[in-house]
Amino acid sequence: MSLTDLLILLRQDLNQTFRFVGTGRRSEQKSVFRRFLGPIIAIVVAVVIILAVTWIVPLIGWNTIAALISQNLAIGSTLFNIILLFSFIGSIMVSATTVANSQRMEYLMTMPISLRTLFLEKTIIIIVYSSLLWLVIGTPLIIGFAIVSPLPLAFLAIISYLVFMLVLVTIGVAFGGLLGLLFSRIVAGRRRLRQVGYFLMSTLAILFSVIWYYFLYSSEDSALFEWFFQLAEQIGLTSDLTPGYSVSVIILGLLVGADFGLIQILVVGVYALFAGGLAYLNAVVSEKAHYSGWLMSGSKRSSKEEIVIEHEPWDPQPIPGFTFNKTISASIWYNITNVRRESRVFARYLMGPLQFVIFFFIPVLTNPEGMGFFTPFLIIAALIPFSTSYGLYFAGYETVYEGRNLLNLQLAATNMEDYVRGKIYSAVPFTIAASSLVGVLILLVYVSFWFYIPLIIGAAVFTNLASGAVAANAAAIGGDFKAQRMVTRQRGSSVQMPIRGWSILRAQLLPNVIGYLGTFSMIILGLSLGAPFAYLALPIYGVLCWQIMRHYSRSAGLALARIEASEYL
Amino acid sequence: MIEAQELTKKFNEFTAVDHLSFTVSPGETYALLGPNGSGKSTTMRMLLGLLRPTEGTARISGHDIRKDIVAAKRVMGYVPEEPVLPERLTGWEYVNYVADMWRIERGAEREEEIDELLTLLDIRDASDDLIETYSKGMARKIGLIAALVHRPKVLILDEFQAGIDPRGAATIKEVLNGLSSRGATVLMSTHILEIAEQMADRIGIIQEGRMVAEGTMDQLRQKAKGQASLEEIFLDLTGGPDMQMIAQYLGDAGDEG
Ligand SMILES: Nc1ncnc2c1ncn2[C@@H]1O[C@H](COP(=O)(O)OP(=O)(O)OP(=O)(O)O)[C@@H](O)[C@H]1O
Ligand SMILES: [Mg+2]
Repeated sequence: MSLTDLLILLRQDLNQTFRFVGTGRRSEQKSVFRRFLGPIIAIVVAVVIILAVTWIVPLIGWNTIAALISQNLAIGSTLFNIILLFSFIGSIMVSATTVANSQRMEYLMTMPISLRTLFLEKTIIIIVYSSLLWLVIGTPLIIGFAIVSPLPLAFLAIISYLVFMLVLVTIGVAFGGLLGLLFSRIVAGRRRLRQVGYFLMSTLAILFSVIWYYFLYSSEDSALFEWFFQLAEQIGLTSDLTPGYSVSVIILGLLVGADFGLIQILVVGVYALFAGGLAYLNAVVSEKAHYSGWLMSGSKRSSKEEIVIEHEPWDPQPIPGFTFNKTISASIWYNITNVRRESRVFARYLMGPLQFVIFFFIPVLTNPEGMGFFTPFLIIAALIPFSTSYGLYFAGYETVYEGRNLLNLQLAATNMEDYVRGKIYSAVPFTIAASSLVGVLILLVYVSFWFYIPLIIGAAVFTNLASGAVAANAAAIGGDFKAQRMVTRQRGSSVQMPIRGWSILRAQLLPNVIGYLGTFSMIILGLSLGAPFAYLALPIYGVLCWQIMRHYSRSAGLALARIEASEYL
Repeated sequence: MIEAQELTKKFNEFTAVDHLSFTVSPGETYALLGPNGSGKSTTMRMLLGLLRPTEGTARISGHDIRKDIVAAKRVMGYVPEEPVLPERLTGWEYVNYVADMWRIERGAEREEEIDELLTLLDIRDASDDLIETYSKGMARKIGLIAALVHRPKVLILDEFQAGIDPRGAATIKEVLNGLSSRGATVLMSTHILEIAEQMADRIGIIQEGRMVAEGTMDQLRQKAKGQASLEEIFLDLTGGPDMQMIAQYLGDAGDEG
């Protein structure tokens, strides 16, 4: 393996995403401004953050803040552990996905490099993408503090932050990748197990990280690592060995001039080595996985025996009890089948919202007595990201991933509005399942809330419908219809979204605004005027959502038809 | 030089390539023929290190693909059946990318050579466009240029002519003949039997992953007991169309239309 190879690969990979150089006359030209928009926004955000810090800190007084920080050097440990945790959750299946889709990299695989080098490069690219957010938000914060800090060494904190942040992201990404690969190995060649297994695995991994996070948050000496810390203490190391803690102590220590021990630097060094080792191991295992074919898709023919196949007349009625027109039915059926077939995608979609929900539950879990009355509200609040995300995934992402196929459908004179509706409806069964589960949860913690449970389920479904349409529309406008061509945007990988720019913001923000406002207005109405009033408001909310759904699915349909007419998907 | 020894590839229980052995010497052009799904592409993909053989191995210019695939890849150029290319790079960027990976020295000489290839295949004026805007044939041509730019000793072409215009196909044929007369080893697969007849020094016919006949045109003719054309030989060895089924289908279709 040579570093030069790695650098050439990286440069070309980045060049494909951040294209600053113009192209020939056939290609759609973006203006110079548009091409540099991303970096410009990042710089503007950075400058704003730096200015804000340098303005606010003197207002409060540097000494107050410095004292506060040096007394609680561990305060940042939660924040830094979040970096690790999010990178981990985001990349659980990412290596497995990369290997499974390696046919898309055939031109790279015939180059005179080992596949290990290639997979290492892909891991690095994923690390780079996963760290962008922390780079744009975290760096200016530290820069701001370094500017106001009177300490000469404070600027070292900036460099430490950059390096340590990469270490944390690397651990998260590489560990997540390895876990996914390990799992693929376990279920390799077992179709049924694979279906169920991928699903359970992704779910467990997310749950595990939630629990882990909870322990980190709720106690300084994490219970989960207790045995580890005890061991460490016995051999003379202090506790608090989580990566986030050590990193936090050094960075904040540099900023405010608080002491940190040599041991902390050592620990971070060990973590850095560990990160590098994990990333390399990830590449090695990916290479093995590729050659052994664990991840071979089962879709290709692999048996020569003649199997008698009877084709039934095809008339899908995907949601029992409802009759839709043919286009809608086919669309629902196709969407669900398509998502379900790849269980890692399915799991990602169904369980993904848990990441947001973590935040809602932390206060409840860490302080159950104090939250008492608010608990059911928090649970309801936690449900809403599920209804909105299911809309985003099933109607938004899937519209994008269907890509070229949409073109064929339009040639077949399919009504795109109906087709979009099908995608929107396809998320409803899952929303009902999720909200029923939430209903049970509420019954367990707060029985007197039982009256609101049907309301909550109804509201969730309506929110879901509206969200799906908003997301589908955003996808039609700002979808990257060739998302599959990039490792980080492929189906089932959650590093980058298949919808770009402002569109993804719209697709995520608007539905949540609708969901929270609507649902809580009804509940507040119920609590203040009497529960039946909430139910009186439900139809109004329903009609509102239905109108939103109709409006946006129509406009999504039109936008898709326009794309077909003007440019190849 | 390609020396395939008992190459075998199994996908689960299904054997796609079954103990296939053949040799292609420097300066020789070898055509693999066979029905759809007979294992031509799978064989090539094993030689290139894209798939690992279940059994057997091969040596490319003396490098064992099991032991030193990187060295083997360094001497090979490959034109895949379905070109998968970096869509967000321009043709020019991609070819230079490949040249970089093979450590062809940057500079005027390299640029001239790439320019020459682009002109030869009539896609010079599209070379600054993103590959995603290319037609199928254009993408193949860029793929071919990328395979040639590092002057490979061994060329592997999987249906290189598919989707290429006649002028382009004729150009490629000439280029391949030229390279092979200068000592390059060429392995290709094709369904166009005239191409095989015109270009190949030797032909291997495979079916269900096994070699059913191999040799020069003359040797094959002898084997097929006097059949004159390669098409007749091919159909004789691998089975012709099922006339009865065809008649039945046409009869059914006729009732409706
Ligand atoms: N990844 C895979 N998984 C399972 N089976 C595969 C895979 N790749 C190829 N096969 C099977 O191996 C057999 C040989 O395929 P191959 O692509 O080598 O055929 P081919 O001779 O190139 O055919 P064509 O003339 O259509 O290009 C086919 O039956 C195919 O279904
Ligand atoms: Mg083939």
